Amino acid sequence: MIVEVGFLFLISAMVISFMGSLVPLVWSFNKETNLTSLISPIIVLVFLFTLSSLSILIYSFSIDDFSVKYVAQNSNINLPIYYKLSATWGAHEGSLLLWIFLLCSWSLFYILKEKDLSKDITGSILLQIIFFFIAFTVFTSNPFERLLPVVPQNGVDLNPLLQDFAFTIHPPILYLGYAGLAIPFAMSVSSLLQNSVNQDWARRTRPWVLMATGFLTLGITIGSWWAYYELGWGGWWFWDPVENAAFVPWLMAVALIHSLIVSEKRGHFKNWSVLLSILAFSMSLLGTFLVRSGILTSVHAFALDPERGVFLLGIFTYFVIGSLIIFSFKNTNKIPETGYTTTSKEFGFLLNNIFLVILGIAIMFGTLFPLIYEAIFDGKQISVGRPYYDTLIIPFAIGLAFLQVVALFFSWGKTENLSILKALAIYSFLFFIVLVSISYLVFEELYFSSILSLVLFTIILLGNLLSFKQKERSKYLAQIYTKTGSTLAHIGTAFFVLGVGFVSSYSFEREIILSKGQVYELAGNNFKFERIIKESQPNYSADKATFIVENENNSFTLNTEKRFYPSSNQVMSEAGIRPTLIKDYYVTLGEELDTDIWSFRIQIKTLVRWIWFGALLVTIGTFISSRRNFRNRDE
Amino acid sequence: MHPLRKQRLITFLVIFFAISIAILLVVRGLSSNLNLFYTPTELKNSSEIKGINIRAGGMVLKDSVVKSKTSLEVQFQITDYENNLLVKYSGVLPDLFSEDAGVVVQGNLAKDGSFQATEVLAKHDENYMPPEVANALKKDDS
Repeated sequence: MIVEVGFLFLISAMVISFMGSLVPLVWSFNKETNLTSLISPIIVLVFLFTLSSLSILIYSFSIDDFSVKYVAQNSNINLPIYYKLSATWGAHEGSLLLWIFLLCSWSLFYILKEKDLSKDITGSILLQIIFFFIAFTVFTSNPFERLLPVVPQNGVDLNPLLQDFAFTIHPPILYLGYAGLAIPFAMSVSSLLQNSVNQDWARRTRPWVLMATGFLTLGITIGSWWAYYELGWGGWWFWDPVENAAFVPWLMAVALIHSLIVSEKRGHFKNWSVLLSILAFSMSLLGTFLVRSGILTSVHAFALDPERGVFLLGIFTYFVIGSLIIFSFKNTNKIPETGYTTTSKEFGFLLNNIFLVILGIAIMFGTLFPLIYEAIFDGKQISVGRPYYDTLIIPFAIGLAFLQVVALFFSWGKTENLSILKALAIYSFLFFIVLVSISYLVFEELYFSSILSLVLFTIILLGNLLSFKQKERSKYLAQIYTKTGSTLAHIGTAFFVLGVGFVSSYSFEREIILSKGQVYELAGNNFKFERIIKESQPNYSADKATFIVENENNSFTLNTEKRFYPSSNQVMSEAGIRPTLIKDYYVTLGEELDTDIWSFRIQIKTLVRWIWFGALLVTIGTFISSRRNFRNRDE
Repeated sequence: MHPLRKQRLITFLVIFFAISIAILLVVRGLSSNLNLFYTPTELKNSSEIKGINIRAGGMVLKDSVVKSKTSLEVQFQITDYENNLLVKYSGVLPDLFSEDAGVVVQGNLAKDGSFQATEVLAKHDENYMPPEVANALKKDDS
């Protein structure tokens, strides 16, 4: 019964969000009827309804109500309670409901945060997006569908890969990022409709973009960390279509953050910023479409359903084409009088945007190329390999890193004095020599990628510190605060790049066979296969191998497991990882070849943690910057 | 030149330059990193693709997996229910590799007609079948 109530809540939310989305239409036909005051109460209602609906679904999971098809397919009596709850977003239907709920939360936050809503139709645009997604859920992906009359005794189980802590938080945070991009999109469209794309619009939009980007960064980071320890390959990024589908909107959002600075401070690039906000949201929709339609081969694809694909493609087309039509008729033609030269901040940001957007498009092209190829060559199938993305991203990463540093010291309009760059170059060179020497002494070898990452690390780190110090002398405290966030985020990219370069240079990987008691030596570390035991848990059984690792400095044990989940008939290995600041020791259990003889994959990963540390810095910096920008504009 | 015009010209040149570089990288990347996908039947009938890096996919034939007891060598047959292909691989197989399940292998066709795999991809879902395999099987049905 309560399940039907949940569905009813969802339908009610659909109906009233539809009504709310009609406000601008009514207004445009009759200038006298301004119904914008209705938008806020409607958003509150829609939020409450979707909250109730989601809560009821979670409740159904908690009481093992296997009469609900979605619960039966994604949960199991023996599942620990916290995984039962997170199983709510373990597959298509529930994660869609979560996405909708989070978009409603953003909308609610928007109407609470923005003060002057008397003429603001942004909420109405948001309601329109909410309406389409609820309709999509109700008509193609109803999570409340019953399995009647025969109710199964037990559920199929949650995919063992997803029975994990990072999974409980990865989707909500990533979706917060995805859905958050709807806010700048809606703000752009509503400003276009009301001819109010101006510097004030840029100031109001920027903190929202920053906040959404913060969540997107965090979501991607957690996903990468999860893949690293859970998939057992020891990789942190696979250029999987779905990873790309999250990375491309991230690139667009970062471009938008920077172009909005110019729009706000100088009035340039306003049309471009509007276009970028449309592009960022479209890419986030395209990401959802790619994942949900299952048209691309991916670890994340769970719904191979053409009907859903068509529906989503419809929503995608509607919003993209619709907003582009509005854009082409309503864009502002006013270009500010002030020009800029090649040594100006404006020009730096312009280059930054060009790089980011072209990189994003090229990645999306590689992701979609198999589809294009299949269409052209009559069903012949291909896949685009990892080297494609690697060769693509390196020149862009170099360009963006140097640009970031140089543009930090540019002024608006025209830079008079560039002597500080010379000083920076000298400092950087000295610091780089020191770091390279240390690396050579420690690792006894240098590679292209480790040297390159050191160069980028040095200039980004020193450039930002120097620029921060310059600002510190400024009289305005507010300016220092504003600078903190961006400096942190930029320094985060330095650590990230260093991690990436070192992990690809100084990592070791071996696939080996060991019998009990045998020792294998890898890069000065002795891995001893100590013992293997069988273990039984309520929802799985496991072979558990224990290693003792010894090197010059210390010794420790590593446990790695191979689990068998009977309810879903799946095998999954749990890697044994010893994380340290410098190196990760990583062992995965393969299979039993003979009595007490097993195959293993042993890896040593250098500076891999710095990748996520850097990404976390970016996240924190972005959030600080968002908060600061909210304050500055609201004061 | 008028400053505004100059500004536009520079902007245009930069965009043009960046796009050219990107196109160059994309074309180069795509020409060397594309892996064509073949079914066992397609591989049986073509001889010109020996030695090139390709992908093949199908279902792992029941009782065809032969594992060595002393090394990581393993061989198995994949099938599209019309023809079979012998695959040789050296390494740890992924968790979800099992008989009667879909698999995609990357590598090249050896002179003796067997497939030397450098990578074995099995996805984490027992009902999962690589779309390539599903399509290949569908094609055979019709």
